[in-house]
Amino acid sequence: MRNKLDACLQAVNQVVLGKAPQVQLAMACLLARGHLLIEDLPGMGKTTLSHTLAKVLGLSFQRIQFTSDLLPGDILGTSVFDKESGQFTFHPGPIFAELVLADEINRATPKSQSALLEAMEEGQVTIEGATRPLPEPFFVIATQNPVTQSGTFALPESQLDRFLMRLSLGYPAHAAEKALLQGQGRRAMLSRQEPLLSHRELAELQQLVEQVHASDALIDYVLRLVEATRSQPQFAWGLSPRAALGLLNAARAWALLANREYVIPEDVQAVLPAVAGHRLRERADPSGHGGSALVQWLLREVPAL
Amino acid sequence: MTPAIPRISLIWLLVAQALVILPHLAHLPLWFTGLWAFCAAWRLQIFRMRARYPNGLAKAALILATAAGVFWSRGGLIGLEAGTALLMATFVLKLVEMRTQRDALVLIYLGFFAVVTAYLLDSEMLSALYSVLPVTALLAAMVGLQQSRLAMQPWPTLRYAGKLLLQSLPLMLLLFVFFPRLGPLWSLPQPGSKGISGLAESMTPGDIANLGRSPEPVFRASFEGATPPRSELYWRALTLEHFDGRRWSQTPDLPVLATDSWQAQGQNLSYSILMQPSLQRWLFALDTARTDLPGARQLSDYRLVNVSPVEQPLLYRVSSWPQVVRDPELRPTQQRRALQLPAGNPRARELAAELKARYARPEQLVAALLTRFNQGEYFYTLKPPTLSGDTVDAFLFDSRRGFCAHYAGAATFVLRAAGIPARVVAGYQGGEFNRQGGYVQVHQFDAHAWVEYWLPERGWQRVDPTFAVAPERIEQGLEAALAEEGSFLEDSPLSPLRYRDVALLNQLRLAWDNLNYGWQRWVLGYQSEQQLGLLQRWFGEWDIQRLVIVLGGGGVLLGLLMALLLLKPWQQRLDAQQRVYRRFERLLARHGVARRPGEGARDYARRAALVLPQQARQIEGFAECFEVQRYAGIASDKGQLAQQLRALRRALPWRLSRLDDGETTR
Repeated sequence: MRNKLDACLQAVNQVVLGKAPQVQLAMACLLARGHLLIEDLPGMGKTTLSHTLAKVLGLSFQRIQFTSDLLPGDILGTSVFDKESGQFTFHPGPIFAELVLADEINRATPKSQSALLEAMEEGQVTIEGATRPLPEPFFVIATQNPVTQSGTFALPESQLDRFLMRLSLGYPAHAAEKALLQGQGRRAMLSRQEPLLSHRELAELQQLVEQVHASDALIDYVLRLVEATRSQPQFAWGLSPRAALGLLNAARAWALLANREYVIPEDVQAVLPAVAGHRLRERADPSGHGGSALVQWLLREVPAL
Repeated sequence: MTPAIPRISLIWLLVAQALVILPHLAHLPLWFTGLWAFCAAWRLQIFRMRARYPNGLAKAALILATAAGVFWSRGGLIGLEAGTALLMATFVLKLVEMRTQRDALVLIYLGFFAVVTAYLLDSEMLSALYSVLPVTALLAAMVGLQQSRLAMQPWPTLRYAGKLLLQSLPLMLLLFVFFPRLGPLWSLPQPGSKGISGLAESMTPGDIANLGRSPEPVFRASFEGATPPRSELYWRALTLEHFDGRRWSQTPDLPVLATDSWQAQGQNLSYSILMQPSLQRWLFALDTARTDLPGARQLSDYRLVNVSPVEQPLLYRVSSWPQVVRDPELRPTQQRRALQLPAGNPRARELAAELKARYARPEQLVAALLTRFNQGEYFYTLKPPTLSGDTVDAFLFDSRRGFCAHYAGAATFVLRAAGIPARVVAGYQGGEFNRQGGYVQVHQFDAHAWVEYWLPERGWQRVDPTFAVAPERIEQGLEAALAEEGSFLEDSPLSPLRYRDVALLNQLRLAWDNLNYGWQRWVLGYQSEQQLGLLQRWFGEWDIQRLVIVLGGGGVLLGLLMALLLLKPWQQRLDAQQRVYRRFERLLARHGVARRPGEGARDYARRAALVLPQQARQIEGFAECFEVQRYAGIASDKGQLAQQLRALRRALPWRLSRLDDGETTR
């Protein structure tokens, strides 16, 4: 099982060059059954990463390009009148896929955004009175441009909290970019990519994550982190219990990826920037992007042992 | 990067500084106000980013200039006044170079100290109450400094400071009552004698008339039992025996009276006297007095003197026996002194001879002299004409206008010329009875001089020629005696004493005086003896040692309890793994690798292994063992961890002291 995971990571890394840490975090996020938000400038490989993950994990893939005129029905699907049968038949929208890429989610209006976000939380959608379950497994990878770019609707904090992790890819390193330019087109590589995991194996891995041992001492550390965000004055607000659970789960997945059966503080520290960065705001600047500085403070000051 | 000073803290600091400096202003040179305004303005400009912090040169120049200013205006850098001026200058100058929180803390502590030094200059009740203001503002600055959520709002900061102050009130009372009054560890020269007027060691008739214009308080006396009528209240301060034709002065180096030289007899008056600083050694008392004040002695003219000049308010208890016979026999030296007369004043001598021829017995002669004052055209006035030449003659036969000292001096002269030993006694007469407080307040204008003459076997007798001229002075006070003339306190138009006939004002004045008396008596006067007395009253007749042990023990116990409550050691229980890990940390720290708080065991071990590559195997072995035990949930042998640690200890070179981080990583 462990070898298969390694092979998956390797396959993704061959397509998305020079981003091994982000790839590993994205994998941990999916293993912990969390949704992923990738925030970066256009053209940094956000879509490529999510597409590759879908291919490698053998998931059905749908992509929704969010625009300002996108309607909730465009995501969830609509009932269309069938002339022959004389009845309305439901045409499922792109949300009914195992991995949904919500591209540039912050370009859509809040109404459309919330249609997606409800589906993420509930694992089901309700359309015209009928509740329809979403496939299992169900992942959403959303990408967004940094909100400072024009024509965007920033996600409110309540919705940001639903993403387990937020990643930022960043520019590739010199060597990676050179390899990218010399190599063949990513699209061609993607089409040739075979799935490396079956649904059963993926479910098994997710089971394994839940079995990773988190000792009392470690849970105390997680609590110390969470309590620090609630008691220290520089935090505008603290981490939610959902965030605390997510943090522990992500750390478990990280430990599993490191082939360990127990979580250590370093695992928590590895996932903390991705898990907590988008949930924290500085008191002095509640609308800004002080989250990562606060996370660095947490990593530095909260006693790990 | 050190934290800067928040705006609110700076504002409160400036307010506090103004409040701290205000009571000092009267004692500081004038230019100080300018220095303060300059520094405050500079500080504000720094805060508004329109000025820079001073550089080393500017700072040195400021310090030198200020020190020179203090030296120039205070005549030195040593002494109470110069010392306070220097302290206040530091307090003000520090403002300009205050960059970090630490600097602000220094400034705040300086401020607290400056508040205390104000007590050296003035210990009135009002100034003590006032010091609550600067202390609150300083506390507010301190609260604002701590970058709490209050850092942005001035009023909550102040409210919080006020709350802290109120909470500390019980502790303050407790400390006031129980904290041992230690003797001073060092002594500062007290402020100079300027500004304190009072009786002097010698007297020309005009001196007491000058005192008669001053409304300053001299002492307060509260009697146990009924207060005697004011015509009995002759407060003796000193006797003036030597006359040089103009000036009466006391005999230097009077011998000390042995305690058994007179026996108490008759009725006894018990009272306590709270005396204002006089910078003189004599104490005030009614005849014939004994005091329990340590070190006080009685001189051969029956006055009481203190061991040292009275520089601070002094509280002492006195018992007086008015009926005691003083000096039934006079030694020849005493007799000579009590009969000494300079040449001159022929008309007075003539009068004495005439009286002596007519009255054989001294009492009759004295009575005749008093009758002369009473029946003749003599006037009691605060504004006597200036006399020259034979002053006694000029007064007795020409001007006939005078104050008590004129009458006392002239009467003594005549008695001596008639061969009766006599002397002038200077002191205070009467006083104002404060009904609310039940005490007598004596002012400088109650200063008085009277006469004592000596009779064989009956000793010294008091006689007051002023009584013969102006009985209302003795029975009702100076104001009544000067009612016609209207000269009572005419130089102090603002003194509330002038308006005693306005009932409400007088009530207020008496109540205020009573309050001040209470303050001086119970707060300032609460010294080690009173403390011991109080404690003994509460805890029974214990000796000091036992009290100290019990109170000290109680204090230590209370401190321990509070420490337990605050530190909660039972919550900091370290398990065995953690204890071993702490030892591991300390061991590595001694070799220059201290763990950072946010560093996990694995990261730390990796870093330590890089610094100490030769011991990398042992370090990582220990970290792995710890990690498995702590996080893997596998119950394992406790000894294993300790064993790993021992292996590491053996591998490391022995080192006792701590190695700096930089030394190994360089």
